[in-house]
Amino acid sequence: MIDQSPLTQVMSSVNTANGLPNEHYVDPLVFEQEKRSVLFANWSGVGFGKDIPEAGDAKPFDFLGMPLLAVRDRDGSVGVFQNTCRHRGMILVDQPRNIAGAIRCPYHSWCYGLDGKLRATPHVGGPGQNTHEDVDPEKLGLFRIRSHVWRDVIFVNVDCKAPAFEQVHASLIARWSEFDQPVHHGGQTSSLQLTVKANWKLAVENYCESYHLPWVHPGLNTYSRLEDHYNIEERGAFSGQGTLVYRQLTDDQGTTFPDFKGLGRQWDEGAEYIAVYPNVLIGVQRDHSHVIILQPIDCETTVEHIELYYAQTAQQTPDLANLRATNAQMWKSVFEEDVFVVEGMQKGRHGDMFDGGRFSPVMDSPTHNFHHWVASQIEQGRVA
Amino acid sequence: MDEALQDAYDRDDIDALIRLYTSAADAAEDRHEIDAACFYLTHAFIFALERGAPEAAALNLRLADRGRSHLLGL
Ligand code: FES
Ligand SMILES: [Fe+2]
Repeated sequence: MIDQSPLTQVMSSVNTANGLPNEHYVDPLVFEQEKRSVLFANWSGVGFGKDIPEAGDAKPFDFLGMPLLAVRDRDGSVGVFQNTCRHRGMILVDQPRNIAGAIRCPYHSWCYGLDGKLRATPHVGGPGQNTHEDVDPEKLGLFRIRSHVWRDVIFVNVDCKAPAFEQVHASLIARWSEFDQPVHHGGQTSSLQLTVKANWKLAVENYCESYHLPWVHPGLNTYSRLEDHYNIEERGAFSGQGTLVYRQLTDDQGTTFPDFKGLGRQWDEGAEYIAVYPNVLIGVQRDHSHVIILQPIDCETTVEHIELYYAQTAQQTPDLANLRATNAQMWKSVFEEDVFVVEGMQKGRHGDMFDGGRFSPVMDSPTHNFHHWVASQIEQGRVA
Repeated sequence: MDEALQDAYDRDDIDALIRLYTSAADAAEDRHEIDAACFYLTHAFIFALERGAPEAAALNLRLADRGRSHLLGL
């Protein structure tokens, strides 16, 4: 048990609240505590469906040191398992690959189906004797991790105690119901990764505010002014920002990406950027969407996995390959512009006298909403 | 036999491993060496199962018939 101040000051109103104290960014013990009560206790993003497109595709993920394996089953569904053999605890799959028949453990060759069931235990009863009365395959399947795929993000709830994903995020799913249609990854150029020397929460906090736009992204703001943005916040679930002046990317010929189907007029120039707590950031726009999974590596290191999705597949629109590359480049420079502030806030949190900071009551409520949620998760974890 | 097996392992040639272990099992069976046959059958079966090869069903049946494996619905 860590001796910590109560988080009431974080959970008071945005006008008077402080942000989360330094220890939530720099203390490995608090990081460990947040791993349990924030990241394992909720629906965290760990990977993308597009990385396991075919039946039998399997990809290992490391999630806060926990070895996971995502598998595409024959019926097209995605399953997530603990990537640990039930025999001697060997890692089962160490590289992404296709499983033609069964997952065979590289140590003593116990075999598991794509559904995690234990299928064979060679020589378990002695040479050539593949059964033993005390080894019941029914009880020795791979541990299944609760998972849910939304907008191609594979979410997991490691501790199995959160309410269903659709329940937790009902309000966001309803808000974006018009975007509830297939998304297609733009291919290799639409995949970016950034490693930042900062706690994962700082990337969330920076993503969901628009306050910094004119200062950090002056290029963006030549056409997107502060007053064209609005705050989005839902207590206990998500927060972010919206814009009223989204402009589609075009090339010299005026070509644009095809729109998602059947969107209302509000999306002609509207776009929204929301942090889906805890660690997934999603932006929706009429013609493409981006998703960022924040992979916490340790207390002060995070990998941002950034992916761009479109209304039509790359195969359907080969002539848009250049535009997709330009778009990816544009986003890359925006996200790179954010690195120095995210890393700078991390460094700033080693200043002992920093008290979590004070918010702008008007501009910072999405960030405060996130802190309120994190604090409430930690307090719940302390009670549990 | 040993050399062919080693070669198949070196090349990671699972189809060859299934074939070689199956013939080793057949030969042992002909000599009425049931334990040895089941040992080889086990290897042939496991590689076939891993590979999703059609032979897996028959190999599983041969082992199950001798009480050496659970019968899988393959
Ligand atoms: S550790 Fe996996 S079969 Fe032994
Ligand atoms: Fe930014």
